[in-house]
Amino acid sequence: MESLYLFPKMPGVSIAIWVVSSMIFMFFAREPMHKMIQAMSDATAGGLRKMASWIRASVEAMREKDRKVLLESGVAKIQGEILQEFHRIDTANTKSVSGYPELQLKLDENIAKIEGDYKECGQVAPEAPGWSEVVETIARAQGSTGDRIIEKMLGEIHKSAVSGEKKALSELRDVAGKRHKILGGMAPVWKRIEKLGKEINHKVDKVIENSRNIDRYMDQYEKISTGGSESIDMLSSKVTKLFIISLIVICVGMVGAFINFNLIALPMSELVPAGVRVAGMAVSEISALVIVALELVLGIFLFEAIGVTHTFPQIANMTRGKRQIILYGALFGLLFLSSVEASLAILREHLAEAKSALDRSLAGESATIAENIDSNITVIGQALLGFVLPWILAVIAIPLEMFIEASQHAFAKIYTIIITVICHLANAVAFLIEGFFKILMHIFDIYIIVPVQISNMFKGKPASVS
Amino acid sequence: MLKIIKPVLFALSVSLVVAACSDNKAYETSYCTMVDISGTYSSQKKSVVNIVKAGILPQMIPGDSLFFVKIDSNSYAEENLVTKLTLDYRPTQANSQKLTLSKTLDKFGSGKARSRLTDISGAMMLCSDYLKKTQSGTQIMFIFSDMKEELPNGVKRNFADDEFEGMHIAAMNVIKLKKDSNDPEVYRKRLRKWEKRITDAGADNWSTLLDATKIQEFIDQAK
Repeated sequence: MESLYLFPKMPGVSIAIWVVSSMIFMFFAREPMHKMIQAMSDATAGGLRKMASWIRASVEAMREKDRKVLLESGVAKIQGEILQEFHRIDTANTKSVSGYPELQLKLDENIAKIEGDYKECGQVAPEAPGWSEVVETIARAQGSTGDRIIEKMLGEIHKSAVSGEKKALSELRDVAGKRHKILGGMAPVWKRIEKLGKEINHKVDKVIENSRNIDRYMDQYEKISTGGSESIDMLSSKVTKLFIISLIVICVGMVGAFINFNLIALPMSELVPAGVRVAGMAVSEISALVIVALELVLGIFLFEAIGVTHTFPQIANMTRGKRQIILYGALFGLLFLSSVEASLAILREHLAEAKSALDRSLAGESATIAENIDSNITVIGQALLGFVLPWILAVIAIPLEMFIEASQHAFAKIYTIIITVICHLANAVAFLIEGFFKILMHIFDIYIIVPVQISNMFKGKPASVS
Repeated sequence: MLKIIKPVLFALSVSLVVAACSDNKAYETSYCTMVDISGTYSSQKKSVVNIVKAGILPQMIPGDSLFFVKIDSNSYAEENLVTKLTLDYRPTQANSQKLTLSKTLDKFGSGKARSRLTDISGAMMLCSDYLKKTQSGTQIMFIFSDMKEELPNGVKRNFADDEFEGMHIAAMNVIKLKKDSNDPEVYRKRLRKWEKRITDAGADNWSTLLDATKIQEFIDQAK
């Protein structure tokens, strides 16, 4: 430091000379200095601002892409649901319509029967009344003539008229009875017609309900296809929910897979003994891992063949027969692997027992202790676990498909959030850098304030740095 | 361009797969156990054998190796190797190998072999040779001795700078001599001297285990 002093014996004077000369130098260099500070600010803060704007554009592009994907998948899903509903309605209607001719026939038969009965009622005409008047007239004429022969004739006629009246009355009663009988026979037919009417009503209600479902789906479809923010939010929420649920189920499944792996890793070293490792894993461990992975793959094929999942369109488009082949193949494969796992689990228990007995014997303990322990329950438990776990693992195919479907949106959302945070951070840092360079410029101007004011005085300008 | 990229990518993938395939050696552990059969320590043979059987053998997994060396007047000789074993990768085979070894050790423990002098360094050098040959990822030495070395005339034992490079060495069951009981500093100084010699020869660590139950902890740390 002292070497910089112009007058070593007078450090104060030396420093003053240095300050004054630096002020003069900086006064003359103020324009390039300002430009340099500005350039530095532009280079750093400007770069960050550019980066922030690029990130913003990237976020927007990603959001737009995600929105399109969401919309398309939402529309496709609704279309699928509508198609499914149509199929359902088609099946229901076919069933209803197929029964309709029979229903119509029954109705016609019953109506014809009623008609026939009605006609029959009309054909049985009652005898015309009037007998009582004839009988009364003959009765009045009797005894008025005085002639015995006529009186006798009138008596006979009266007798026959009374008997005719009686006969006519009895015939009328018979006919009325017959009519009542016919009408009584029509009652069950009316009931049948009423029942048929109810049946028709029920079927018509079903058709109306189905059409209402279609209306509901169509409303959803219209709402989604318009692509409004409300429908996007709804779709996003649905997909996020699906993602979280499937992720939880997959995590649980992974724990199951881990248990499964540990169950068969040790006995696999007995079957696949090798001194080679791949990526730090023994070949026996890899074999166990492959078995677990195979179970998952077979599960995917199984549910694909059943039609629960639709990961592979090739399988979905196959004929029923071919899909059945895949289904039986996957079922057989799973059965085989679960049997292998069950036997490996038993082997594992035997190995563990042997090791435990050996350790005890090496430690000098009596081997009879091992014999006292009845490990049948453990063996059965492990064998059952080995048999059941592959089937449980196979079911992961369903949430896996859900996860794959939902992950695109979820990861896009996470990515968008992360880069939006980076964008805000870049803007904040740019703001701080700009502020720093502005302060630097002001400090510079303050430092050279004296020569600037002197220069202004000479130039006759008002006292201002700029 | 695509014509060049494709074979390069293929070559890269193949080399990655080949690189990923590695020998098991790096994941295996080799043990060398030295037992002092000189002077007063010769009476400890049986208990040492029991410690090895109960403490070291159960820790061994398929692929691991064990060398059992006796410390006598001139230990740097092939005949000092009592027995050696490399466990099979099949657990059942490994178990039967352990049983056979345990019988050999029992035979050694009940034997009457003893020596006049104590060449600990020679035994350690012999162990070092065997352990290095295995190329195992973890190499461990256990010394069962009072750690008092007495070399015959004309025998030189200088450790190379990398004699025990990467090895984990522990002195086990170090019994105290009469002089040690009179002045503990003699015992401590002796152990400090050994620690310096061994760490100077490149050993990863040096421990004195007072209790057989610490063996597992020591092995776990070494791994």
